[in-house]
Amino acid sequence: MTELRVERANEKQIRITGIAPVLAVMLREVPVILEMRDSPAAKNRLLPDPTSANEKANQEWQQIVGPELHHLFVSAGETMARDLTGLVADPHDINTGQLEFPVEHLRAWMSALNQARLILGEIHQIKEEDMNEANLDPRDPRDLAALRIHLLGYVLQSFVELETGHEPQASI
Amino acid sequence: MERVKGIEPSSPAWEAGAFPLCYTRFRQTDSASFSVQIKPKLVSAITFVMLQRSMAPIMGPTQPGTIQIDETETKADLAAPWNVIVHNDPINLMSYVTLVFMRVFGYARTKAERHMLEVHHKGRSLVWSGGREQAEHYVHQLHSYQLLATLEKSES
Repeated sequence: MTELRVERANEKQIRITGIAPVLAVMLREVPVILEMRDSPAAKNRLLPDPTSANEKANQEWQQIVGPELHHLFVSAGETMARDLTGLVADPHDINTGQLEFPVEHLRAWMSALNQARLILGEIHQIKEEDMNEANLDPRDPRDLAALRIHLLGYVLQSFVELETGHEPQASI
Repeated sequence: MERVKGIEPSSPAWEAGAFPLCYTRFRQTDSASFSVQIKPKLVSAITFVMLQRSMAPIMGPTQPGTIQIDETETKADLAAPWNVIVHNDPINLMSYVTLVFMRVFGYARTKAERHMLEVHHKGRSLVWSGGREQAEHYVHQLHSYQLLATLEKSES
């Protein structure tokens, strides 16, 4: 197993190396996952109400802020999808998976990865105990979703560390 | 936090200096500053909401740039402290939540981590308290980072 490495190639580019074939597949699936963002479950999670009880305020919020956030999330996914066209990954060579993208796209990547994780979580109703389960069975759809969430979280964590230079943590 | 153009395609949501709902409560008479604070793309949306409320049009007949305020929003309502609450969820990474708190509120890492751990252990954390408009702005920002955040009127 190669080690995923995220670093600044230079002032303008982020470089990811050691992208295992399975991770390459999952990264390429992110834009597909993001297409489910308008499903009711995903939409409720990505565009939550700002209050727990004030229906009028919630309705106004959804009318005004909802479209803005939706546009923001779509833009992030499109940015990541464009960058993914540069992903080099030979399924027969675990050492070749690499990708570079502009530093300015880092937040779009983080947003898109997190959106995908949240969408998978909502659609498959992933709970805290699912995320803490050590023995996940990839033949089970919910377990597979949890695995994908973990794997995409691994990449997201690498980006957070690049931003903060901090040690890894679990999910909240 | 300074948002750099090009990180993500420019969106008013990243750049908003004040939350859109706040605009419906402005008593703004200076047309120059009005144009700075109101994002052009949002004007139509605000107008739409105001029309729905059967309020006066944005531009009054005598003072360009004047917003007629819905007086049902009392001064006390605006002056009372509002709390920004972040709720736990099973997906968001602890490190990501910490980073968001540092970015949105400008908190030092230790404070951001303290709030993150409170979310994790207690299910929610009061991350900020103050004026309603700023609180709405923070909730907006937290939603843009996909955190579950709500606004609550302080009971104190």
